[in-house]
Amino acid sequence: MTLEYRSDGVSAISILHHSTLQEPDFYSMEILIYGTVNSIIFALIALGFTLVYGVSRVPNFAHGSIYVLVGFLTWSFVNNSGFPYALAVIFSLVVAAILGFLIYRIVLIRLRGMATSEIIASFAVSLIILEGLRMQGIAGFKGFIGPFYTLKPFIEGKINLLGVFVDYQRLIIIGVGVGMVILLSLFTHHTKTGLSLRAIAQDEQAAMMLGVNSDRMAEIAMSIGSALAGLAAVLILPLGSITAEVGYRVLIYALAVCIIGGLGSWGGAILAAFVIGFAMKISTALFGALWESVVLVGTIILILLFKPSGLLGKQKELEERV
Amino acid sequence: MTILEIKDLMVFYENAIAINNVHLACRRGEVTGVFGANSAGKSTLMYTISGIILDVKKKEKMRGGERITVLGSILYESKDIMAVEASERARMGIVLCPERRRIFQESTVLENLKIGGILAKREQGKKTMEYVFNLFPHLRNLKKREGGFLSGGEQQMLAIGRALMAQPKLLLLDEPLLGLSPLMEEILAVAVKNINSQTGITTLISEQYARPILPIIHYGYVLENGSAVLEGTSEELTDNPDVKSAYFGL
Repeated sequence: MTLEYRSDGVSAISILHHSTLQEPDFYSMEILIYGTVNSIIFALIALGFTLVYGVSRVPNFAHGSIYVLVGFLTWSFVNNSGFPYALAVIFSLVVAAILGFLIYRIVLIRLRGMATSEIIASFAVSLIILEGLRMQGIAGFKGFIGPFYTLKPFIEGKINLLGVFVDYQRLIIIGVGVGMVILLSLFTHHTKTGLSLRAIAQDEQAAMMLGVNSDRMAEIAMSIGSALAGLAAVLILPLGSITAEVGYRVLIYALAVCIIGGLGSWGGAILAAFVIGFAMKISTALFGALWESVVLVGTIILILLFKPSGLLGKQKELEERV
Repeated sequence: MTILEIKDLMVFYENAIAINNVHLACRRGEVTGVFGANSAGKSTLMYTISGIILDVKKKEKMRGGERITVLGSILYESKDIMAVEASERARMGIVLCPERRRIFQESTVLENLKIGGILAKREQGKKTMEYVFNLFPHLRNLKKREGGFLSGGEQQMLAIGRALMAQPKLLLLDEPLLGLSPLMEEILAVAVKNINSQTGITTLISEQYARPILPIIHYGYVLENGSAVLEGTSEELTDNPDVKSAYFGL
């Protein structure tokens, strides 16, 4: 069995499958472990997007560009400025959070409530960042149109887990992914800021009547959402490489997960991440990697056919009933 | 001693007038009632006092929708708050319990109350929550239930409790009895009276149906097509023949 996940080059798709399976005995274990990894990758990618959408109903199409930007910044801090890796990661995440705040404060605040304009404006920001990075390095990042730029894994090497080789980075992804979901859940259920975020997400004006400042909350959501995109980047990019295309693909994945889960539903996004993650993994194992994108789109269509509001998009039903 | 004074208030939706030259005052520690039929302007009045209208106006303007104009002045504790945002007004103590309750349907009863208590200090929040559960003992058994699964009456209790959690100095209740059974109307009317007498919170309550509310108010106004056509103490309004025919069906 080969486990050279980066052997097939630049494509970010390569982070979602790693090798063709040869021995049927490994199928189930392999699918279980790598399916989980893929699912959590999807969840991490979508978490920030769904948080922002849930709170402020702003579809943040700059999500993917922040993901890539954090990858670049971390790379740049390490290789150009000589920062230690951990410090570089923290700096990049802080930059991402500030950028998210600024995108809301400068651009999106003027467009609140107009979904189409929000999409166009945030996608414009995305284009500026991604195409800017593609054209010529921002912040001293030179020669970007080269072969591979990638972050190094937190810990090199791999481990034999129940007969399947898994690299440490993927285990870290599982750990951090699960940790983030738990942290976010605690944050949104037990802190005042978290409760305010959920209040705004459910009924903006009702929350305002109770003293919640909706613009402040949207800024906080954008900051956290961007930092989450950044966190996903530093975790996942070591499995692939940093290119502008990754940004667009990440955005599409995030959209897919959120639409299947039900827009704005946090539990739905996680459920959807697992549905897509396993659907893609199983199809890769059975039919080969070529079918991956077909399965992705197929899953979206199938689920939306039977449940147009997404898996857990239940707000509408409740409203009708009461 | 007035806590809230509204002078020459006019609200237009495009060219349609929703509030026409209304003068209204709430005396500290009293319950003030606003009565009127559908479309008399009660909810617009409440949204204007709580500042929600500014948010509606901003959004309409962005969308290129209805032009909303608000003229006149609202004095709260002798300060003009016309330009103050809704969340800031809540911070100042003006808390609205809106029409149709608008509780957070995906959050549990307990979380709804906690969200209400975002402005409160920890100790205050605990104390108020205990007070709310004493006021509405029924809610105590429903702590873990999601807001969307409550009955209308339970939702209304929760909405009032949630508003109390925000530590109001001026509590605005917009049609709290809307769509409830006579029994529930009675329970809530008593609760409103108790809130006022036990905590001294100034209350402004609007209602279509005056009968259960008239006995608990100190002073009341009658709105008709956006204008305050009548005002008086509870007794004066009760004895007024026009009020009798229009709001008691006698």
